[in-house]
Amino acid sequence: MSEVFTDIVLGASWTVLGYTLLMDTIMFTLVLLGARRVAEARHWKGAEGHGEIFASPLTPAVSLLIPAHDEEAGILDTLRAALGQRYPSLEVVLVDDGSTDRTFELVAERYRLTEINPRRTASLPVNGEILSVHRATTGDPLVVIRKSSVGQKSDALNAALNHARHPLVCMLDADSLLEEDALLRVARPFVEDPDNVIAAGGVIRAANGALTDRGTVVEPRLSRNWLVRIQAVEYLRSFLLGRTGWADANALLIISGAFGLFRRDLVVEIGGLDHRSLGEDADLVVSMLAHQQRAGAPHRVVFVPEPVCWTEVPETLRVLGRQRRRWSHGLAQLLWKHRRMIGNPRFGAVGTMALPFFLVFELLGPVVEIFGLASVALAAGLGILDLGIAAVMVGLALAVGTLLSTTAIAVEVLTYRRYRRGRDLLALVMAAVVENVGYRQVHAWFRLRGLMAALARRKPVWTAMPRVGFSGDPAPAERLVPLG
Amino acid sequence: MTVPLGGALLAGAAVTALIIVLLVAVAAVHLVRSRRAERDELRKRRLMPLVHAVLDDDPVDSIPLPDVLAAPAELDAIVLDLLPQLRGSDRETLRGLLAERGVVARAVTDLTARRSWRRGRAVSLLGSAAGTHHVAAMAALLADRSLEVRCAAARALGKAGDPGAVGHLLHATAGERALPKGVVGMALLDLGTTVLPVLRDALTDEQGTARGLVAELLGVHGDPSAAPALEDLVRDAGEDLGVRRSAAVALGRIGSPTSTEPLVAALTNSTDPRLQRTAAEALGRIGDPTATVPLLAGLADDDIAVRAACADALAALGAEGRASLEEVADGPGAAAPVARAALDELDGPVRRPQQAGAA
Repeated sequence: MSEVFTDIVLGASWTVLGYTLLMDTIMFTLVLLGARRVAEARHWKGAEGHGEIFASPLTPAVSLLIPAHDEEAGILDTLRAALGQRYPSLEVVLVDDGSTDRTFELVAERYRLTEINPRRTASLPVNGEILSVHRATTGDPLVVIRKSSVGQKSDALNAALNHARHPLVCMLDADSLLEEDALLRVARPFVEDPDNVIAAGGVIRAANGALTDRGTVVEPRLSRNWLVRIQAVEYLRSFLLGRTGWADANALLIISGAFGLFRRDLVVEIGGLDHRSLGEDADLVVSMLAHQQRAGAPHRVVFVPEPVCWTEVPETLRVLGRQRRRWSHGLAQLLWKHRRMIGNPRFGAVGTMALPFFLVFELLGPVVEIFGLASVALAAGLGILDLGIAAVMVGLALAVGTLLSTTAIAVEVLTYRRYRRGRDLLALVMAAVVENVGYRQVHAWFRLRGLMAALARRKPVWTAMPRVGFSGDPAPAERLVPLG
Repeated sequence: MTVPLGGALLAGAAVTALIIVLLVAVAAVHLVRSRRAERDELRKRRLMPLVHAVLDDDPVDSIPLPDVLAAPAELDAIVLDLLPQLRGSDRETLRGLLAERGVVARAVTDLTARRSWRRGRAVSLLGSAAGTHHVAAMAALLADRSLEVRCAAARALGKAGDPGAVGHLLHATAGERALPKGVVGMALLDLGTTVLPVLRDALTDEQGTARGLVAELLGVHGDPSAAPALEDLVRDAGEDLGVRRSAAVALGRIGSPTSTEPLVAALTNSTDPRLQRTAAEALGRIGDPTATVPLLAGLADDDIAVRAACADALAALGAEGRASLEEVADGPGAAAPVARAALDELDGPVRRPQQAGAA
């Protein structure tokens, strides 16, 4: 009996190790694909025709939709960056989703808001009550909707969609700063290929620690907080390489909710954002893809591998845990909702590659990782673990994980070079190593809890994370302040 | 040592070595690039007076030709950056300079390079620097195997400014290696108004995608001679809906009152809300008061976007449309909120919502 038990424990340990190595290998392949694409894109720098797109009368107008709940710390900076976009025609629709702080008052004062009769362009269902609609009298193209909160970001976005006027909608988190030509870069695929492109996104990076001035990231810097540094590496890896790789394989599932551009008519046609979904950004993309595929209509989801948006990331484990549980919960909902697409060749690379990968490695990844750690601990406790072999295998898994992150950092240095200071690069490299010891395991635990919440069908609630904001004091002399 | 353990050790060592190589490369590149950036900046500052001297047409003895020809490659980058911002003789001077320095000849050679980005950059350079020379070679790249190169070729043809490229560009919107519509559209706009007669002919001759695009472009140019053909497209119920919408948008931009009748028909008779909305928006742009009654009827449409477009159009019709809107806004009907919102747009928010939460 004990021999069988020993075999099971050892078998489990090896299975987990094999799984980890397989996942890392796939990730590394994606990273290489992405690196190739990024390197290729750099050769075209200067020949993309951004100036022509800005000046072209064919460039479609964009409605920037910003849902905000208790965002007083950074909302004015976010609005400055959004309204200061170098783009020929845009409006900003801000939804104050039941804020209990001074979010609305700050905006009302800065933009001298006045109440107007709502002008609706769609009838998407909104659960919260629309309390009032306002517009700026400062000449800025800003509309502000006040609504009661039902704890759903998707509800706030649907309210914004009902009031958006323009053919493209850009969803932007209220804690994010856009680069000056972010819209121009991400709208380019829509201008060039209006019949096929249905969604587009760009690279998002951690803003904590950056020098900002009135909504502009003046100099990207790395925060002193190690949790933020590790997330900066995560974002580099995920956006710079992971998503670029998926887009290259024509299997991109996620356009980040922090900054994504979509065809408005199509979003309205599929009924807006799903109220029940916690991963409303990914759900929107997959729903649009499924809709177009079923209708036999053309569809391209494009990823622009250029840094366009800076967002505030959690600075404490507690807030990070809440965020990652929500992401994992949302992914589980997404995969369950679109389960018929998984492995279905009718949906192309999305059905046969991306969705199975997300199911096996993203959703179930934490289960395997936690189970593996437990089995290793059990084997060690039973005295049946060969410490030498275990050390070598764990070392290999850590090395592969570090290689992934180091490649992302290398591509950043070789191409965009946003982090100019040597000490920031050194900190990034150290974070890439540290990430694998402790952070990765804690992260797996958060994701596992998110999965369990989804299995228990717990009601999803959107709670905005506590914000530090982008600039501490509006006094001109103190505007250039590092955060984090 | 067991075979798996040996393999794992070997793999671990290889991965670690790879990480170290990457890190060393990162450090080296960081160092080299920082220094190169400083050096390039310095060179640029030194070369700018030379470019200014060329543009100012200084006496030849102050800028000897050999100096200009022997200047480092950064000079080409400076000139290529400046070129799109210049017109007339300055532009021609810099084009001549690039030709003298062999930049244009090298780009022509690169049109057949193996790497797609080299072909793309070469055709872009020719579009900016070579004028209408080499148009045939550039047009050949519209059928390149790389989509990026095809797009670059279309943009370059637009910049080169040869009206003869219209046919090449329109044909490139169809076929196995079709170009995205928007890229072709921007290139055709770059060619200016000299191509209008060809575009008008294309409105009847070309296939679906190209026809819709041409309709849109004629509208952007505000070409009144194209109005009758565009009106026919809007009237034609058998025509592709996308083409009809593009034609309706174009008629709004042209702004001829003769277009009111087909647009009213599209608003009233079509079952496609997108065409109805487009027609209402076009009627608003034209501003013909005879459209008041159909637009008022549109305020009761089932589609909320059509209702909003009709209200905005009425607001744009002047006194008559405004009076109609005020009447509806003060009334009890379902169209009242839409009318009030449109009046808000017109004069600012003088009318308060009748009920809170009126959305």
